[in-house]
Amino acid sequence: MTNTVIPSNKAVLSALLRADFTTQWRNRKSVVLILLIPIIILISWKGLVDKLGGPFVLSNCITIGLNAVGLMGYSNAVARDRDKGIFQRLRVAPLTAWSIMLSRLTVQLAMILLVTTGVFVAGYYSDGIQLTTAGYITGFAMAFVGGAVYLGLGQAIVGLIKNPETVNAVTRLVYFLFIMVGMFAELGALPKEVTSIVKWSPYGTVKHILSAGMQPGAWTQRSTIELMVTIGYALVFSAIGIRWFRWTTK
Amino acid sequence: MAASSTAIVLQVDNLHVSYGNFRAVNDVSFNVRAGEIFGLLGPNGAGKTSTLSCVEGLLQAQSGRITVAGFDVKEQPLHARANLGVQLQTTNFQPELTVAEILQLFAGIHGVPLTRERLQEILLSIKLEDAAHKRFGQLSGGQQQRVSLVIAMVHNPRLVLLDEPTTGLDPQSRRQLWERMEGLRDNNHGILLTTHSMEEAEAVCDRIAIIDHGRIIAIDSPQVLIDNHRNDPAVISVSRKGKITLEDVFIGLTGSSVRS
Repeated sequence: MTNTVIPSNKAVLSALLRADFTTQWRNRKSVVLILLIPIIILISWKGLVDKLGGPFVLSNCITIGLNAVGLMGYSNAVARDRDKGIFQRLRVAPLTAWSIMLSRLTVQLAMILLVTTGVFVAGYYSDGIQLTTAGYITGFAMAFVGGAVYLGLGQAIVGLIKNPETVNAVTRLVYFLFIMVGMFAELGALPKEVTSIVKWSPYGTVKHILSAGMQPGAWTQRSTIELMVTIGYALVFSAIGIRWFRWTTK
Repeated sequence: MAASSTAIVLQVDNLHVSYGNFRAVNDVSFNVRAGEIFGLLGPNGAGKTSTLSCVEGLLQAQSGRITVAGFDVKEQPLHARANLGVQLQTTNFQPELTVAEILQLFAGIHGVPLTRERLQEILLSIKLEDAAHKRFGQLSGGQQQRVSLVIAMVHNPRLVLLDEPTTGLDPQSRRQLWERMEGLRDNNHGILLTTHSMEEAEAVCDRIAIIDHGRIIAIDSPQVLIDNHRNDPAVISVSRKGKITLEDVFIGLTGSSVRS
């Protein structure tokens, strides 16, 4: 038996992260698009800030950004790489499967951070929305919780659907469904029944915990329940995604 | 500890793989020695890919045991894979990454330090010194195969799996790849090669196993297989050139019908 070198988890993660961040950087057009949509909405809603409140507008835009990160970015990248056999090529190396996914998720956490920061900065400069320090910190924390819901949903979609084109179509559909129904319901433009469904949907709960997180003084028991429901969504979607996920489409 | 030239780098014992009621691999046993090119030949659906996937640790066998460089692929998968270099059939690298970045990635996940000088040396060895900053997809088929092979070898593995490596290559690139395989054999690496090219198997393999319907039906050196089946009526009946070739033996043993 020869001396066998098993690379440390740190070395493996470092190599994977460098490759995954480079890949994300090379796909910066899609990063810009993910960032652009919430910022355009933010700027176009400038006139509504006084009426709806800064946290309402910011939370809506961040929710849309988080949707795009989890549904358009993460799931499509995983579906493509699985179809091309990129995961299988990595899995024949001496590394654990979780390290491949941890690296992918770290890139998405960076994207969540970028989207949230982008919205906060644009909100400040474009709409003059300023939160307290605690509001920003809790806002970021809620963005990560909310982001986990959409990453989990993205994972569930690639877990249940193998074909990358179908994954692309389904994620677009869910994305636009969430944005359109979610935004109109939040603005009170839809029937009451639909509005109450949306409030407890993955769109509504994420938006509400973000909004409540940005004003920690106004955090209520209802906000805590919404946070619990949001965490529940993240756990259920992730469990489905992990349970049915296959590393290959064959 | 250095491997002796006869050390077994891959041992497959009584491998069984089933998909539902379909038995894809049925009691397959063989070994690959250091300094040997071992060909695994078979028609489509014969069980080659399933066998290879088990060796790679991508597929769990129902029963049987596989060791790579003495490490059980089930019990010590990371150790087994650390001794394994793999070139898969299709290109499997992120299209956004350059050749240098892909090499850095695979060196990193194998725990191999890769300096700029070493990277240049590697690229020079495959005559791609100017391709460091090219995306993998921008390379020709032959160049891609050369890059895939050096990536498979970046950690100097004891066993190299080459899954139909010359498919789609022009004769020059194919010859070049054969020479590289022979170079690896001379450096005491064991190579497990799958191919549909009997010419290739005859040209480079020291031993071959013919697998059909999940079972190994013949295993020996190409010349011994030809000699042993020279007078087999099934082989003679499919012979086309007046002399018996490895392809005649292969078709004689596995039948003439086209597999899906």
